[in-house]
Amino acid sequence: MRSIAEINDKIQRQQAIVWTVEEVKARVQEMGVTQVAKQVDVITTGTFEPMESSGAILNIGHTDPPIKIRQCWLDGVPAYSGFGAVDLYLGATQMADYPIADGTDGEGSRERGGGHVIADLIAGKPVQLRAIGQVTDCYSRASFETTITRDTINQFYLFNPRNLYQNFIVGVNGGDRSLYTYLGPLQPHLGNAVYSNPGAISPLLNDPDLQLIGIGTRIFLGGGIGYVAWEGTQHFPLQKRLPNRTPIGPAATLALIGDAKQMNSRWVRGCYFRSYGSSLMLGVGVPLPVLSEEVVVHCAVRDQDLVAPIVDFSIPRRVRPTFGLVSYAQLKSGRITIDGKIVRVAPLASIYLSRQIAAELKDWIETGRFTLTEPVAQIPMDRSFLAQDRWGTQISLE
Amino acid sequence: MKKRVTLIFPKRAVHMPVTYRLAKDFNVAANIIRAQVTPNQIGTLVVELSGDIDQLDAALEWMQSQDIGISIASREIMIDEEACVHCGLCTGVCPTEALSLDPQTFRLNFTRSRCVVCEQCIPTCPVQAISTNL
Repeated sequence: MRSIAEINDKIQRQQAIVWTVEEVKARVQEMGVTQVAKQVDVITTGTFEPMESSGAILNIGHTDPPIKIRQCWLDGVPAYSGFGAVDLYLGATQMADYPIADGTDGEGSRERGGGHVIADLIAGKPVQLRAIGQVTDCYSRASFETTITRDTINQFYLFNPRNLYQNFIVGVNGGDRSLYTYLGPLQPHLGNAVYSNPGAISPLLNDPDLQLIGIGTRIFLGGGIGYVAWEGTQHFPLQKRLPNRTPIGPAATLALIGDAKQMNSRWVRGCYFRSYGSSLMLGVGVPLPVLSEEVVVHCAVRDQDLVAPIVDFSIPRRVRPTFGLVSYAQLKSGRITIDGKIVRVAPLASIYLSRQIAAELKDWIETGRFTLTEPVAQIPMDRSFLAQDRWGTQISLE
Repeated sequence: MKKRVTLIFPKRAVHMPVTYRLAKDFNVAANIIRAQVTPNQIGTLVVELSGDIDQLDAALEWMQSQDIGISIASREIMIDEEACVHCGLCTGVCPTEALSLDPQTFRLNFTRSRCVVCEQCIPTCPVQAISTNL
C-alpha cells in the first residue's frame, strides 16, 4: 500500500495526510475501511496518565575537586548513584527523605516525590542537590551541595522501564473501609470505581499485536521526541485477547526513552496519591503508519469493543478477585453496574489531554517536524508473566 | 432571593429548632448543605436560605439576637485551572456530582451551586489543583 519511506517523503513535502485515531474511527463509520486506508498516511494516538515506572537519568557534571557520588538527594528525594561518579537515576515514586528548607509546610513535602522533582526540572525550576562521596585517589571530594536546573547539567533524559500499558484494570473496593491506592481513593462497599486507560484512543489498543510499534519507534514523549527503547517491565503479551486481538486486561508494556531537556511541563506533571505516594503523569503520543488496510481495521476499534476487568482491592493478594469484565463504553458513561448495584466510575487517565496529544502529534507530522521510523526490532510477543511466590503458587493466573 | 450562610451555634443554642423558626416566623426555607451538631458542643450549619429579601434580613437579625454567629463568606471549593489535568478522579468521590466530566469533551466541569463543600475532592486530586478559599 505505502512504505514508511514513502510516508516520510510526503511528510517532508508537508503533503502527508494525518488523522487522529478518533477521526479515523468516525470516518471508518462513514466511508469504510478501504476508503480510509486509501486516504490516510499516518494515524496519531495519545495518552496522558500516571506512569509510575518512570525515571530520569542525570549527569550533573564534575566538580573541582571531583566527587564520586555514593548518596544523593534532589530536593530531599534520594536519587540512585551506583553508576559512574556523577550519574544519577531519579525514580518517579521515590519519596522525600527530609523536607526541603524553603518554607513549605511539612505536609507539602511529604506529598512530594521523584515525580515532582522531575517535573520541576522540566519546568525549568531550580532543584537543590546534596551529595555524599566516597573519597578515592581519583575523586577526593567527600560532599557537595549546589542548586541545579536543567540548563546546568549535562544529560537529562527520561528512561522509563514501564510505560504505555496496553489496557489496565478497573479498581473497586468491596470491603468495609476506605482504601488508598495507586488508582486514588476507593470507597468501601463499592462506593466508586476507577479506570486508568483512555480506551479506544490509547496507543497500544490500536496496534494490538505490536505489528507497527517496535524498538526504535519515534514517539511524542512529554512534549519532546522520544523512542521506544525495549519491551517494558511486566510486558505480558500472552494476556487473553478478544477476537479483535485487544487484551482483556493488562498486557503489553513498553520502555520509553527521551530527552527531558526538550520536554514541556504541560505534558509532564508530578502527582501524589493520598496515602499511596508520588508518581508522574506523562503524555505519550504514538504515530501509526497506514501500511495496509489491516492497520485501519485495528484503529477502527471502539470503546464498546474493548473491555477491562473489575478488580476488588479489598483482598490484598497478588491475584485479586474480579467482578467480571466491563466495556470502555460503559466506563466512559460514568456509571457501571456491579452485582446489581450502580457504581460511579471515574477515569484516572485524562481523556481531554490524551486527545490534545494526538492532535499535537498530528500537527507536528503535518508540518514536517516529525518523521516516522522503521522499528529496528520487534517487541517479543511470547513473554509469560512470572510471579515471585513466597509459599509456592496457590492461585494460578488462569 | 437565596443566601448561603454559615451558622455557628453556641452550646446553649444547639437545642433551638432554628429551621422551624425560620420557616414559621419568617417564611424562609433553609436548605441544609452541611451540618455538624453534637449535644453540648458548638454546632456549625451551612444553609442556603431562600425567601423574601426583607424577611431574610429579619431572619438573620433574629438569629444574631439569639447569639448565633453568622458568616456570609462561606467556604468554597476553588479549582486551579493551570494545575488541573482533567483526569476526572475527583468526579468519582464527589457525592453531589458538582464535579463532573463533560460527556463530549471530557473537560472537568464544576457546578458551584451543587457543591456542599464536603472537601473529599481536595485530598483526592493527584495534582493538588483543588483547594478551599478559607
